[in-house]
Amino acid sequence: MHKRVLVVGGGIAGIQAALDLAEMKIEVYLIEKGPSIGGRMTQLDKTFPTNDCAMCILSPKLVEAGSHPYIKIITNAELESITGQAPNFEATIIKKPRYINEEKCTGCGICVTKCPVKIADEYNKGLSKTKCIHIPFPQAVPAIPIIDKEYCAYLKRGKCRKCEESCEMKAIDFSQKEEVIKVNAGSVILALGSEEFDATLKDEYGYKTFPNVMTSIEFERILSASGPTQGHILRPSDGKEPKSIAFIQCVGSRDMQLGNEYCSAICCMQAVKDVILIQEHLPGVETSVFYMDMRAYGKDFDKFVDRAKDYYKARFVHSRISSIEVNMDTEDLIVCYATDDGTIKKEKFGLVVLSVGLLSTGGIKETAGKLNIELNECGFSKSSTFMPISTSRAGIFTAGTFSGPKDIPETVMEASGSAACASSLLTEFPVKEIKEELPAEINIEGQPPRIGVFVCRCGINIAATVDVPRVVEYSSTLKGVVHSQEFMFSCSQDSQKVITKMIKEKNLNRVVVAACTPRTHEPLFQKTLQASGLNPYLFEFANIREQCSWVHQEAKDSATKKACDLLRMAISKVKLFSPLSKSTITINKKALVIGGGIAGMTASLDLAAQGFGVYLVEKEEELGGNFRHVRYALDGGKTEDFLNSLIDKIRSNKNIDLYTNTEIKEINGYVGNFKTRLAAGGKKPSESTVEHGVIIVATGAEEYEPTEYLYGKDDRVVTQRQLEEWLWEKESKGKGTGPLPDADPRTLKNMVMIQCVGSRDEERPYCSRVCCSKAIKNAIKLKELNPRLNIYVLYRDIRSYGVRELYYKKAREMGIIFIRYEEEAKPEAKNSKGRLNIKVKDLILDRDLLIDIDLLVLSSGIIADKKNKSLSQMLKVPLNDDGFFLEAHVKLRPVDFATDGIFVCGLAHYPKDVSEAITQAKAAAARAMTILTKDSFQTEGKVSEIRKERCSGCGLCVEICPYKAIDLDEVEKVAVINEALCKGCGACVSSCRANAIDLKGFKDEQILAALEVV
Amino acid sequence: MIEKIKETVKKLFKENKIDIFIGYSEGTLPLRSTPCFITRSEDIEKLVWNSYCSNNLAVYLPRFFVSQRGAKDAKLPRIGILAKGCDGRSIVGLIKEHQIPRENIYIIGIHCGGMINTKKIKKVDIVAAEEKNDKVLVEDEDKKKVELKKEELLADMCKTCQYTAPAVYDILLGKEKQKTKKEDREAFIKEFEKKPLEERWEYFQEQISKCIRCNACRQACPNCYCKECFAEQAKPRWIGPTNDISDVMFYQIGRIFHQAGRCVDCGACVRACPMGVDLRVFTYKLIKDVKEFFEYEAGVSLEEAPPLATFKQDDKQEFITEP
Amino acid sequence: MKNDNNWEPKIVTFLCNWCSYAGADLAGVSRLQYPPNIRVIRVPCSGRVNPFYIIKVLQNGIDGVLVSGCHPGDCHYISGNLVARRKFALLKSFLEYIGIEPGRVQFSWVSAAEGGRFVDIIEKVTSEIKKLGPSKKLSKWQKEAEYIKEILK
Repeated sequence: MHKRVLVVGGGIAGIQAALDLAEMKIEVYLIEKGPSIGGRMTQLDKTFPTNDCAMCILSPKLVEAGSHPYIKIITNAELESITGQAPNFEATIIKKPRYINEEKCTGCGICVTKCPVKIADEYNKGLSKTKCIHIPFPQAVPAIPIIDKEYCAYLKRGKCRKCEESCEMKAIDFSQKEEVIKVNAGSVILALGSEEFDATLKDEYGYKTFPNVMTSIEFERILSASGPTQGHILRPSDGKEPKSIAFIQCVGSRDMQLGNEYCSAICCMQAVKDVILIQEHLPGVETSVFYMDMRAYGKDFDKFVDRAKDYYKARFVHSRISSIEVNMDTEDLIVCYATDDGTIKKEKFGLVVLSVGLLSTGGIKETAGKLNIELNECGFSKSSTFMPISTSRAGIFTAGTFSGPKDIPETVMEASGSAACASSLLTEFPVKEIKEELPAEINIEGQPPRIGVFVCRCGINIAATVDVPRVVEYSSTLKGVVHSQEFMFSCSQDSQKVITKMIKEKNLNRVVVAACTPRTHEPLFQKTLQASGLNPYLFEFANIREQCSWVHQEAKDSATKKACDLLRMAISKVKLFSPLSKSTITINKKALVIGGGIAGMTASLDLAAQGFGVYLVEKEEELGGNFRHVRYALDGGKTEDFLNSLIDKIRSNKNIDLYTNTEIKEINGYVGNFKTRLAAGGKKPSESTVEHGVIIVATGAEEYEPTEYLYGKDDRVVTQRQLEEWLWEKESKGKGTGPLPDADPRTLKNMVMIQCVGSRDEERPYCSRVCCSKAIKNAIKLKELNPRLNIYVLYRDIRSYGVRELYYKKAREMGIIFIRYEEEAKPEAKNSKGRLNIKVKDLILDRDLLIDIDLLVLSSGIIADKKNKSLSQMLKVPLNDDGFFLEAHVKLRPVDFATDGIFVCGLAHYPKDVSEAITQAKAAAARAMTILTKDSFQTEGKVSEIRKERCSGCGLCVEICPYKAIDLDEVEKVAVINEALCKGCGACVSSCRANAIDLKGFKDEQILAALEVV
Repeated sequence: MIEKIKETVKKLFKENKIDIFIGYSEGTLPLRSTPCFITRSEDIEKLVWNSYCSNNLAVYLPRFFVSQRGAKDAKLPRIGILAKGCDGRSIVGLIKEHQIPRENIYIIGIHCGGMINTKKIKKVDIVAAEEKNDKVLVEDEDKKKVELKKEELLADMCKTCQYTAPAVYDILLGKEKQKTKKEDREAFIKEFEKKPLEERWEYFQEQISKCIRCNACRQACPNCYCKECFAEQAKPRWIGPTNDISDVMFYQIGRIFHQAGRCVDCGACVRACPMGVDLRVFTYKLIKDVKEFFEYEAGVSLEEAPPLATFKQDDKQEFITEP
Repeated sequence: MKNDNNWEPKIVTFLCNWCSYAGADLAGVSRLQYPPNIRVIRVPCSGRVNPFYIIKVLQNGIDGVLVSGCHPGDCHYISGNLVARRKFALLKSFLEYIGIEPGRVQFSWVSAAEGGRFVDIIEKVTSEIKKLGPSKKLSKWQKEAEYIKEILK
């Protein structure tokens, strides 16, 4: 067997894991239970906190996974069992019938139009209808229809077969049966996902009883331009625009009665996103969010909430909902809720959205059961702080919400991390080399254009509107065209053979296909050219289906004229095409890891385990970073043992060159070929230069040093970190140092913890994410040591997201008192005649409380390392406003930078806890390995090129390039393109006044040639 | 003032700080000063400073460095230059666009009281002229002397100049001059904007039809340092070489648009144009828009990124078509 | 000609590959109908569109031009659309200033999920340009057209 991983679940987690593995040349079997990959993300309208269009960013990944030579997608299939042990598993997969021959089907969709049976559209959550034979959604991969056997007139009643009659490719196959597939794999990734809470279980909210109560995922479809209402917010009851919309949070989450005690982690931000989007769809609509704690704990989340409040005028009501009633006449809804001080209020809304939680349901649990995967008390895969991606079964890993609710970037991080874990078990297996034997390329230099034109009928998709024979005939009259013909389906295998034959017979040196969209089909025809010995870039597409026949069905004449125009433009353009080649860049297989904390060490070990050399640079003498001060884990894991074992592994690993007490001085080069100058300090300062192919930034962050609440002025005021150190010293050594050497945790009587010290204020408008859980952890620890101790936690929102909620619950049950305060009324600390006391306004009692205390613990936030700035300049990567490193894309590229070959993990990226740092470090290692596993990589073909003789070296392009792919040669005074980094966007080209840059494949003269013949 | 300039230049040569000095000397015609290049201290006496030192001297600077390109460790000339506000802003632009090295340029900034547009003296054939305070005495062929107010003769851009002295300099001479208000500076653009569309088009057409594509505007402009202008390029061919009005329009729109965020309103193109094309009503429009949209002014800061090299998330986008 | 009801404008549309082109494709997949006047040129990014293309379109006698890219923040190339936005803001303002009808040159944002929005924009742009009549200003063919008219008289 060669390197192979089984990935179960084709949502964004499974897709990301599959892509990372495939890029490491590991074969992936990606199993999806539905008819298309994509998962829940395909149903989202936008994504927080940037409001990126979900489908826009996901769809390229779907296409990439669908066409990757190392990924085999099996849809409509479920995992039955896994036998054996790592790295020798055998999986049994049951593939259910789709009733379509996937090999034959071209996805033309004609069958869909002929099918007489309408069914509820699952993609739109049943809010609209689709056909019984249908493609799940327009961007589906594979883009092949499925027949719903429950509703098919033929399968149910033996009559119809209209789809079969309409299919030119004879791809409908009613005889398909369930198929059993056996797959051997070295490791397995379970990305089984989760499901939405069934809101009918909360009957007091009236879901499915009152038409204008809907779930958050249904509302996503309503917001979506491709949804049932084309993005118009309309009430289901009367199809009218609501004047006010309420969001009810924590539906099915943090709910003791239902047993879903955990927090679903995403709903707060989803609601915040929605209230912002509502204002874009229906300006002026009043929006209210009824919430318990606003859990905006992620990167730039709080700013997003502030924007919703301040700019979009959303109202956030801290409350508990008692019920939702309805006005029978208007179908308006009456939300009954209790405010902070216990008053019951009633308010009317036109529409209510229930923010339903995520949960592990029967089907998921059943699969886990079949595989012998242990689940935790919340029904998610059981993991531990230090092994966040592992399951209870060795060699089987998790990614995404199967191990607990989480948002997309965390899911993606986990997916990449699981790829690192899964690949680490395959070291003994050989790589499956996929190499295509291609004929030698025909040299077309000096030849006049000999263009072949192929016009597709696409069954009737094009031919019913566009007069295809006329288009073919017209094209044959154009200069340079030596062959024109039509195809029934230009994408079929037979058609590829014809194209190849024609290239040879007529010595074609350019090919134009007029058919569907290049976005999905260009690679297919390029391959055909390549297989025929033509450079794949001597090809141009004319889109006469999506952008012509389908959109001008009523204007057949104009559509035909337009098709002729589009073809003429394509021909005019293709004449100027020349062969493009990709350059090959060799890759130095070593990595530089900057920072020797938990993240840096984890990433280093993951890389070293797979044989890659690592230069691990730590600025301090000791390894461990901030983790040295973490003495307890929330789940009771032993942090000291874990740290020591990591350090031992680092020090004894032959693949890791450790540089402690060392700083980075200079970084040069680009992906595959970096050169870094290091300066070691200490007694014998020295400098050295290392060469490497990738960089992982794991420089950590700092603790905020409070200036408030008498910190530094009174020894009884300490930070959570100091408290933890002190507790640990007392416990392990019996004595304490620091500010409280003599105090004893067992004799303390009253203490207060204040949350959000140095976080979520004007200067630092972000949440430090870990402080709530840390306070809960330490409070529980103290309470266990001293049950009589009164602990008051003063908080703004308790952000114990996900399963951390269980510890919050435990703390409350132990008698720890949580008192909420508002930003405008912060607590006050006073030393009155030697006694330390805290004044805080109790919002429930609506009066000031004065607490006399022995100890005040400040949950001080995490701030970015001051040195990030200089490092970011050396790396040419950006920081966000708060000084943390800014990743390439906050949703789908959470550990990458826009600049290739550089990755980020740990606190350098944003505050996070140990398990999250480990996950992200593994993700960074996996992403780095997608580069390091290759000996060389090929640059893009369509990259920018400089015409030196025109360049004056003004440097505008250098500043504009988002990938830092252009440098200014200071001697020659000309810009130089680094093809290894250029992504071919062309922003430099159109900015250059001298036209000294052009974009291969999209050259100015080619575009002008098309414009000339419009 | 001229003595102070000479003194400074002398000192620069004496201390071996510069190889060349660029300033103005007496022109061959009255009311004209001409750029001069001084390489020996004995020539310093040629220097003049008066109200006819209109030329933007920055235009000469890149030429001193072009020939050194490609040569490693080439010895680059050190150049001293007299800079009015507009020259100074052009110099800043050239430094930012890497055309000249800051360390090789010694900028003698001077507070400029504005330059005379000689075309505004229409009455007489001038044989001699003399400048006294804020008056200009001109003498015609019949030795008849006429006294003219300098204020009335000022070039349009000088009348509404905002930066009378350079923002970046090594030494600044003279006294600060009064600046005009923004409203006054932009008044002529706002007035043009108010005209009906067709009237604006008529005016544009009328002005451009005067253009003979002699390229004098391009030659005079410090920003037009391209090795090969788009107008002459063959691949791609943007425009034909003809005087077809459509090609001329493309040329002028193109050249003016290339000045976006770079034009300092020095007026060099306007002065250079032999056909009297009213270029400024178009060039200043872009200055106004750049200021209004992106809060950027050319040539006043070495650090600030040029407006077309950067962006803000919340840049103006009212022009975007919404359904 | 302006009053000729049968006259149909031709409109060049530059669409970025990742959002607007995909949005146009989605309009097709959804079988949304719109006027057949646009001629699409696919570009990798709206940032690829040289402002000179716009002038060239008008010079070639084409009646209008639309450039459409990803919404701010959605750019596949991080910031190409934002760099483009600055150039287009200036260009559009300048062309109007010299007397080019505002409707001839338009810019929009359309995401890959906004087939409907794409259609709405195309309908709007087409009807605006149709109202404006054939493009003459800047057109290379203007003189020739007038000459031919003269002869036909």
